Amino acid sequence: MSTTTLRTRPPLTPALTAATALLATLAVAAALLALGGYSPGDAFAALFRGAFGSWDRFVSFTLVRATPLLLTGLAVAFAFRARVWNIGAEGQLHAGALAGVAVAVALPGTPGLILIPATLLAAAAAGALWASVPAAMKTGMGVGEVITTLLMNFVALFMAQFLVQGPLRESRGVFNQTDEIPAAAHLPDLIPGTRLHLGFLIGVLIAVALWLYLTRTPGGFRLRAVGASPRAAEVSGRFRAKPVVWLAFLTSGAIAGLAGGVQIAGITHRMYENLSPGWGYTAIAVALLARLNPLALVVTAIVFGALSAGGGAMQRDAGVPEVWVRGIEALVILAVLTVDRSWQALADRGSRG
Amino acid sequence: MSTRNGPCERRGGSESSGLAARLRDVTKRFGPVTALEGVSFDLVPGEIHGLLGENGAGKTTLARVLGGLLTPDEGRVEIGGCEVALRSARDARALGVAMVHQHFSLVPRFSGLENIALFNGGAWTKRGMAAPGYRERVEARARELKLEVELDLPVEGLGVGARQRIEILKALMSETSVLLLDEPTAVLAPREVDGLFAVLKEVARAGTGIVLVAHKLDEVLAAADRVTVLRRGGWVLTREAASVSAGELAEAMVGGAVGGHLARGAAGGQRPTVDRGRTAMDERRAATPAADQLVGTADPAPVASLRGVTTIRDGEPALRHVNAAVKRGEILGIAGVDGNGQRELARVLARIRTPDEGDATLPAEVGWIPQDRAEEGLVNGFTISENVAFALHGKDSCRKGPWLDWAGIEETAAELVREMDVRATSSTATAANLSGGNQQKVVTGREFLRSADLLVAESPTRGLDVKATVAVRSRIAALARHGDHPPGVVLISADLDEILELSDRIAVMVRGRLIPVPRDAHNPRDIGELMLGARVRPDENADGHAGETRNTVRGPEGSTPGARSAGGGPP
Amino acid sequence: MRHHLPATTTLALAAILACSTDREATDTTTPGVALLTPGPVSDAGWNAGAYEGLQRIGDSLGLRISHQQTLTPAEFDEAFISYADDGYGLIFGHGFEYQDAASRVAAEYPEVTFVVSGGSRPSANVVALIFQLNEASYLAGMAAGAVTQSGVVGMVGGVEIPTAKGTFVAFEAGVKAVREDATVLETFIGSWDNVSAAKEAAAAQLREGADVLIHNVDAASFGFFQSVREARERGRVAWAFGMNRDQNDVAPDVIVGSAAIDYTGMFLRTAQAWRDGTLGEPVYSGLATGTVEFLPNPAREGLIPADALERIDRARQAIIAGTLEVPSIDFIEKEDPVSSQ
Repeated sequence: MSTTTLRTRPPLTPALTAATALLATLAVAAALLALGGYSPGDAFAALFRGAFGSWDRFVSFTLVRATPLLLTGLAVAFAFRARVWNIGAEGQLHAGALAGVAVAVALPGTPGLILIPATLLAAAAAGALWASVPAAMKTGMGVGEVITTLLMNFVALFMAQFLVQGPLRESRGVFNQTDEIPAAAHLPDLIPGTRLHLGFLIGVLIAVALWLYLTRTPGGFRLRAVGASPRAAEVSGRFRAKPVVWLAFLTSGAIAGLAGGVQIAGITHRMYENLSPGWGYTAIAVALLARLNPLALVVTAIVFGALSAGGGAMQRDAGVPEVWVRGIEALVILAVLTVDRSWQALADRGSRG
Repeated sequence: MSTRNGPCERRGGSESSGLAARLRDVTKRFGPVTALEGVSFDLVPGEIHGLLGENGAGKTTLARVLGGLLTPDEGRVEIGGCEVALRSARDARALGVAMVHQHFSLVPRFSGLENIALFNGGAWTKRGMAAPGYRERVEARARELKLEVELDLPVEGLGVGARQRIEILKALMSETSVLLLDEPTAVLAPREVDGLFAVLKEVARAGTGIVLVAHKLDEVLAAADRVTVLRRGGWVLTREAASVSAGELAEAMVGGAVGGHLARGAAGGQRPTVDRGRTAMDERRAATPAADQLVGTADPAPVASLRGVTTIRDGEPALRHVNAAVKRGEILGIAGVDGNGQRELARVLARIRTPDEGDATLPAEVGWIPQDRAEEGLVNGFTISENVAFALHGKDSCRKGPWLDWAGIEETAAELVREMDVRATSSTATAANLSGGNQQKVVTGREFLRSADLLVAESPTRGLDVKATVAVRSRIAALARHGDHPPGVVLISADLDEILELSDRIAVMVRGRLIPVPRDAHNPRDIGELMLGARVRPDENADGHAGETRNTVRGPEGSTPGARSAGGGPP
Repeated sequence: MRHHLPATTTLALAAILACSTDREATDTTTPGVALLTPGPVSDAGWNAGAYEGLQRIGDSLGLRISHQQTLTPAEFDEAFISYADDGYGLIFGHGFEYQDAASRVAAEYPEVTFVVSGGSRPSANVVALIFQLNEASYLAGMAAGAVTQSGVVGMVGGVEIPTAKGTFVAFEAGVKAVREDATVLETFIGSWDNVSAAKEAAAAQLREGADVLIHNVDAASFGFFQSVREARERGRVAWAFGMNRDQNDVAPDVIVGSAAIDYTGMFLRTAQAWRDGTLGEPVYSGLATGTVEFLPNPAREGLIPADALERIDRARQAIIAGTLEVPSIDFIEKEDPVSSQ
């Protein structure tokens, strides 16, 4: 066909998609809040103040909350790029957090320059190890990773429960939590005077590294090809899918594990049951919204971080209960994905002939 | 559905114009693209109306407008003499318009009967089975149309032709005045094509108007009563099939300045049928560059050889003791009906599949133009440059340290776009935005870029229009016959014209076996019989064939060291 | 047309924001009291009690109040800081898990008082609030010992934390004070809200012969009571005790009595003490202050024999007088072992 058939895709960036869906949903949410007897104005003012009210709020609240979402989101996006549906970031995060705490607690008196890398590496390794089980099952036996990674999440949660109640329980033996990690293992503040720790920077650097890898290297090209069309990758690229699948699993698991390590070294300083409120699952929405683009993911993670931080403020300042806040967050996620999809459909309509 | 012309509907409206369907000045746009511009078209009851055009000429769009799948931006649609506004395929169906798509819409696990019942409302019971008595109606209708259909086996196990017949019967179960078929022959073997046309003629005899969307001139001329040609969304001509030559049609389709070979070849007014194709074919072969340079001039050592290669797929042998060798500058044509092991052979040659038995001596890099360009030859979401990078990403010249040299790759891709005459705005257009012919040009050009010693071309022109077909064939021929270091080419195709036009030597693939065709049998009739398995063992001419066999298949054994070194040699 | 969508929604949002009332102006002058809970305030237990207490503080003392439910430590820090920044002078963290965050934030806000329910590490402005529920549990145990026929008594706990464990230790002691040969079963289900796990755990203990059960599973108690009720419907002897709040009306048909905390009073007294500048640390609060109490179910009067009730009352007096010490689990850290501040 001639040159005129080229698709005209609206030049919408993922960030714009996110913003629009967010606004559309806020309008719906406002109506619901009003029906529930809460002032939508107060609620949204609180949401905004909580997330962006001041430099300190933005950095200490929004960015801190965005950090685990950024890392798990990158883990999910990288795997999805290779058509590896890793739903197991939650479990890999827990595995990473456990390993990180175990290493940090076992090495008291080690200087931070050694202890911090050791903690984070242990976390990444544990995450990769956790992901290697579904990887082996997929490549070896053809077992679908959606089920296996999901089930491995539950295994990780129960393992965390068992370890903090037993072998890793704090030395006083009172609470179901580990000992606090040595101060040397605490991640330094990224911006002095705020609560933002090094973990956010680590996340941004990984985002840039993944983006460079995917777009600029032969390996990234191979991974994208296998992800976009395994058959074409095999026939046209002569790529074997198996090594790519392994790479995707292990890297994804390592990044998710690192998310756990960063969280314990940066914020909680110890491990306990239910460390994560489901970051590994929210990460899927964060990644999809960013269209699996690592750089865009920095933005979408911050959007979700802001939503989450603002949600806390909605409770505090506007008296909106937790369940409402969660419901509104879920609405936003749904709306964002719907809007994203419909724009794609609109864009595709012009391409048939 | 709504009918603007009220009185027409009251009259039941089939007699007002005597036409089964009619389009008047229909224009359809997709965003900035005009797919149809002011096209008028009419369909007489009982005729087979061939709709010809290059890929992207608007054939499918026209069929879809008639089928209710697209609403025209301008112009009118009349069915049975009444102006109608079709909003969906369901609307069209209610007016007696049925469409058989290029990709069948059958439930794989259901039997033919179940599929037919499912599609036709009322025949499907709430318990999920065909209504009692429906089977008899289906069988009666099939008899009426002289359609041989398998009703009881799951359709997933049936051949393409059998599935197509079910699809057609499904469409014709209720009163049908207009039957639209979109490229129905694209998936069929030659003998099945004849069967299809016989069925269509039977259907037409019963009074149904048939629109046959196609791009193969000879097929349309063989089956159609009238022919309409579209070019770039516009109407070019409508003629009685008997009064038009293939040359005229080819010219109408491609616009005169292009498609010289085929137009010239067919201009003699000959339909390239099995009986009379020889002259046209010979002329065509003569027109192909360097068609007369044969085996003798090439390197005597084969670049690739298979000896006793057997592969097992799903417990069944897919290739059985295949012997083959190809030399530099030689085109080995492998003819055969799809599904006789060609796929597996290509995979072995491309080094993706290792034989379960036997030896394959192959060069380190193999170019492969796969059969399914949309799914295997290209990644649809990738740009042209990215698709071209498949051939380049491993080469040192396309790397800068750990990085891919995208600037360099894009330059190469842009060059390829120019050289292959790919119609795209830029090399950053995605593959999905290209028409089939342009996609194939990209794949072909890319596989050339590998500068491999062996090129496997698998149905390289299937589904392409005349112009693109000429372009791709001449590139392949030129590649094999020119240059200092021409590769050996294995051309796998079900298109006999193509095989005869390009090949130096020919073999036929039947049920996993590769049968050499002696030179004196290089004609459509003999090869066609071999393809259809009529003469799996050409006994009656045993001596001559055996000699030929030794010559073509066992030949490489004598030069095994050479073959080995070719296999391990530089790419 | 699609490009109008962002514009419309922006307008809508702007309109909504324009209607927002300005709360800030009236607020910051009155002293504020804030509450963080680890779970929903609809749990009819631990969190609901605290929320009621907060509301009483607002009603009776005329103080500004606010509440947030929090999930993760990052949120704990964030909420403490936000409240401190917004001028709240007294902030309750209702659970031991708030201890670390309170310690961290307290160092930065010396003028703000942080109260951690079940806290383990008091400091200058971090007060541990200890509910001596074990005293009431002991009395409940005595009642259980008097009511049981099989001599097997069960305990179903949520997460094994010291406060929960402490109530069970005391309950067991209470049972054995009345019936020395009693067998006491103990299960922790590892969750505060897994209703079906609580139900299963109770059913398992009933199968092992227990006929009187106590729980400490907070929101999951609905499943626990359901299990006991079903056993009764099958004609078995089965009784239950309520915990944390007066649950006698939650399942009046099966409950012998409840070991309850008067959160409302406790929170009110704590806030009063804070306002008067007399808030000491840590604050222990048991039978003597009326913060905890064992409350027999009025709907089942006579279930506990009169002589047993008399014994229970004597024990109650002895505990208040300090002559009877109820077993407990102490979790206050005497010195601060890891001071990272």
